[in-house]
Amino acid sequence: MVRPHRTQGLAQDDRKRRFELLALPHLDAAFNLARWLTGNSADAEDVVQDAYLRAYRYFDSFHGGEFRVWLLGIVRNCFLDWIKENRSSRMLFQAEPAGETDETLWSERPRDPEALLLESIDSQTLEQLMLRLPLEYREVLLLREVEDLSYKEIAAITTTPTGTVMSRLSRARLALRKLWLGAHATEAVHGV
Amino acid sequence: MACDRFRALLPLLADGALRQPRRFFVARHVAGCADCAARVEELQSVGTMLRTKLPFHRAPPGLAARIGAALPREAPPSVPRRWFPVQAFGGGLAGALAGVALTLMVVSAPRDAVVQGAIDSHVRSLMAEHLMDVATSDQHTVKPWLSARLDVSPPVRDLADLGFPLLGGRLDYVDGHKGAAVVYRHAKHIINLFAWAAEGRDTGFSETARQGFNVVSWRRDGIVYYAVSDLEADQLAAFARLVGGG
Repeated sequence: MVRPHRTQGLAQDDRKRRFELLALPHLDAAFNLARWLTGNSADAEDVVQDAYLRAYRYFDSFHGGEFRVWLLGIVRNCFLDWIKENRSSRMLFQAEPAGETDETLWSERPRDPEALLLESIDSQTLEQLMLRLPLEYREVLLLREVEDLSYKEIAAITTTPTGTVMSRLSRARLALRKLWLGAHATEAVHGV
Repeated sequence: MACDRFRALLPLLADGALRQPRRFFVARHVAGCADCAARVEELQSVGTMLRTKLPFHRAPPGLAARIGAALPREAPPSVPRRWFPVQAFGGGLAGALAGVALTLMVVSAPRDAVVQGAIDSHVRSLMAEHLMDVATSDQHTVKPWLSARLDVSPPVRDLADLGFPLLGGRLDYVDGHKGAAVVYRHAKHIINLFAWAAEGRDTGFSETARQGFNVVSWRRDGIVYYAVSDLEADQLAAFARLVGGG
């Protein structure tokens, strides 16, 4: 016999269920990205919640592929909207620093070879250095190194050509290295 | 200088993003060039540093539930309605059936907060890597592990030959009850079977659906059970009868 209490509302529930099954496992990834972009948990929660509602609204436009990539793209868009609504231009997505090229970044050679031991950095210092990076750098580093996404996937999320992703990623790594060398030099001076 | 030709490709080499035969030529150059080798190593160490040292911010507890609650109950009209057979009977009959359903649910509905708690624990277990404290399909390992830590000893059996392989178990809290969560799988669906001690007489199976999950609950021999999964309701009901059928 028909079990009406199940049949009724199944269409609504079915869509929601499929969405939750696909989307909820990526909640940590979505939150982590939002947290690194906004810099704090409360705003990251707002951005993620907004992103999930938006993703649900546009769920029908998801046509296969890696759901995480699709979702993180939406998280990023929600973040950009959030900036527009909530922050002054100070927070606007910083463009890549002008004149910063691979060669100028590499040219910074440490006097002290120990400074190159990036392994010796502690999490707290690393977090502070990351937050000092321009957002464009921070996001490619996160997507590449933490989310382990390919250049192509990062290009899809950031709506940037793949070639730009490659060069930006390269500069982002060098910029982080430069910050670390700077921090390390300061530490050495202060005898820490 | 030969290096100039390779400099721009070093990050790609470090990322493993070069295909043959280009990878071969770049790698051969790097092998013979201390300067480029040092650069590749540095690029890789930046990556290693981020992967191993950068704090990962997990979603705070409760965010999943808040999102679930905020999702609209109704699908947008653009979604094809698959339940047209019911609709085809006309509103009158559908309404009557709904009325029957409502009655059934009121009679057999398990406690609301507990159902919600069980679903929350289920979702949490899938999101965190904390699905199992003891991951084994060996029922003779899972059962003693749980009994040693709890005041109840829920039956644990491997139902692999019936399509529900045992994955393991863990301790969990559901709506304030400390209990066991025995984890099963059916095809790609995970089933959490929560169990804790509760006085009272044995009950039948009652079924609920919420937030896209199905829940079957019952009480037997002083233990309350909640089976939660995104499995189809009929299959979960079958599973409940296999586990709780005595």
